[in-house]
Amino acid sequence: MSSNNKKQITVSLATATCALLGSASPATVDAQEQNDWDFNTALLYYGESDGRVEDLSLNFLAQRNFVDDRILTLGLAVDSLTGATPIGAVPFDGPQTFTSPSGRQVRTTPANEIPLDSSFLDTRYAFNASWQQPFGRLNTISTGVSFSSEYDYTHIGANVKLSRDFNNRNSTVSLALAWSGDDMDPVGGAPTPLTAMLDVGDLSNRTGNVDKDIVDIVAGFTQVLSRNLLLQINYSYSDASGYLNDPYKIVSLVDPVSGDPLPRVQTPGANGPSHQYLFESRPDSRTKHSLYAQTKYYMGGKVLDASYRYMTDDWDIDSHTLDLRLRWPLGDRSYIEPHVRYYTQTHADFYRPGIDGSLALPAYASADYRLGEFDAITVGLKYGWETESGNEWSARIEMYMSDGSVPGNLLVGDQAGRNIYPDLDAVIAQVSYRFGL
Amino acid sequence: MGSPCEVLTRLNDAGAARSLVDSVAGEAWRIEDKFSRYLGGNVVDRINRSDGRPVEVDDETANLLDFAASLYGLSDGLFDITSGLLRKAWTFDGGDRVPTDDLIASILPHVGWPKVSWERPTITLQKDMQIDFGGIGKEYAVDRAAGLAAARTAAPTLLNFGGDIFALRPAGETRTWQVGIEALEGQGRQADRVIRLGQGALATSGDARRFVLHEGVRYGHILDPTTGWPIRGAPRSITVAADTCTQAGMLATLAILSGADAEKFLEAQGVRFWCQR
Repeated sequence: MSSNNKKQITVSLATATCALLGSASPATVDAQEQNDWDFNTALLYYGESDGRVEDLSLNFLAQRNFVDDRILTLGLAVDSLTGATPIGAVPFDGPQTFTSPSGRQVRTTPANEIPLDSSFLDTRYAFNASWQQPFGRLNTISTGVSFSSEYDYTHIGANVKLSRDFNNRNSTVSLALAWSGDDMDPVGGAPTPLTAMLDVGDLSNRTGNVDKDIVDIVAGFTQVLSRNLLLQINYSYSDASGYLNDPYKIVSLVDPVSGDPLPRVQTPGANGPSHQYLFESRPDSRTKHSLYAQTKYYMGGKVLDASYRYMTDDWDIDSHTLDLRLRWPLGDRSYIEPHVRYYTQTHADFYRPGIDGSLALPAYASADYRLGEFDAITVGLKYGWETESGNEWSARIEMYMSDGSVPGNLLVGDQAGRNIYPDLDAVIAQVSYRFGL
Repeated sequence: MGSPCEVLTRLNDAGAARSLVDSVAGEAWRIEDKFSRYLGGNVVDRINRSDGRPVEVDDETANLLDFAASLYGLSDGLFDITSGLLRKAWTFDGGDRVPTDDLIASILPHVGWPKVSWERPTITLQKDMQIDFGGIGKEYAVDRAAGLAAARTAAPTLLNFGGDIFALRPAGETRTWQVGIEALEGQGRQADRVIRLGQGALATSGDARRFVLHEGVRYGHILDPTTGWPIRGAPRSITVAADTCTQAGMLATLAILSGADAEKFLEAQGVRFWCQR
């Protein structure tokens, strides 16, 4: 064809087509090649009340969609943590002095305050990659690796998941296996469990690196129950072994009558703890079983997402989590999504806010509030909107409120009525942007 | 249509869905029956058996002939509905057989739109000439059926006649159809890329399976009616997006006819297209 004709072809062709079809041209074509890459970026703020932990987290997720349902996913996260966290010592009506984790200095907590360790400051980098692809007509396999690093903690992990559709693809079964190897190099060295917090400069009860391994197995079943209802059920088994202590957590030795921490005989000329504190001791293995059920129900544009998880472990912690989200469209391009989550757990069998100093030491003891008995409620709201080009912004704000208590039989002496359990309130705010290239 | 035809729609009412499918299928069969060159007794058969006598045609056939005449002009003679005779000489089965020059030379005198006398509504073919609407029919059928579907339903609906596609989008609908373009080397399941189609048409032209490999040169099945040989140097698959399936299909075919300049031709048209070489 001669080049001078080329410019005129579309117009002439449209005219000829219009004459052929006997109608005006219909609406303009809307066709775009699907993006090769999808990106999701998020900035998340997590802040605990009373000047405790604050985390600013930047997350970046890239997904490459190859033809034929093969998907590469790459994730990168950078967290900046600051603030203080309870160290486990019981509060009482006098000041308490502690040796810092590094063993280089002492810090003093005023009377009637929950002792915190304020040396908590860290930047964490995390990376993960996964590859998913179909094999055979009905099976999908995905494999992934993960790595994260912070100044005293290194994690590497690997996982594989197989799933198979059946029943006209209305049902899916899956089996996933994950392994995680974590290496800790605590500041000052990992303390020997149930040994005393020592004077500044004395690191005789510290060792170097410690590690733990975690194996998770998840068996899942997903069923489309109707055109509006989807049900998923998972059973998961998790086995952790190795050094499972928090190297920075301690337990107070307390007076059997007053319930106050036992004073410590100061070494002349040395700087050290004011009272008797022992580094915590947890079993070196933990086995968890959980059952998880989730339904998604589509009702005239709105989607209700409800899930429940039951977890039980051989540390005697049982927990229940109920999570509800309702995605409510506002027009074509935006939605709001209220969120409510309720969580409750029983305490670990070795959890105790203090150890009775008149009795022989138990084999295991921890005053970590996360192993105690507590309930927590999260309420939140998310708002999302889609831009003209199909990218999506969303903003989310959530409040987390926990309320824990120490059962009477775990109190020692005159501890009743004291505010021993450190409750926690936190706010979570997130802005995210999803776009394709 | 020589290929599977499907209707995808989102309707809650089975009766309405059936009636939609029936009207689309009815139109596809009507056009097949009326214009297929493989069926006896229809208007194309009458024209091809006219033995040099004039044949008067109905409006719809006349519209198609007018359109074919326009395309002949737009393509500088490369798009020619009288070129079907050349297919007798060629077998595009992936083998290596090419016809002799003598065979082609014996056919070429019976090929060429200018040799046809077309004065609406009367067409006169010279003896031993033939026409066929194979290069237009499927796209035309999609557009006609889409017109009927639009009158019948407000539901999002996609028509796919063997890879020639039209999507109807009701007002307010923002979701898109995902249309995979078949990969050349695939087993019919692999997509080279995925197009998100909100509304309008996609048509694909190419020789993924219909070709001859002769002395190391691959010849696709689209023939140059001026030489009797396949067009060379064209992409093996071209997909074009346009407002109607007819426009998309013609642009894809004209691009193939441009051979090595296919992409340049399409760029000059300002349409969205995807080529596989």
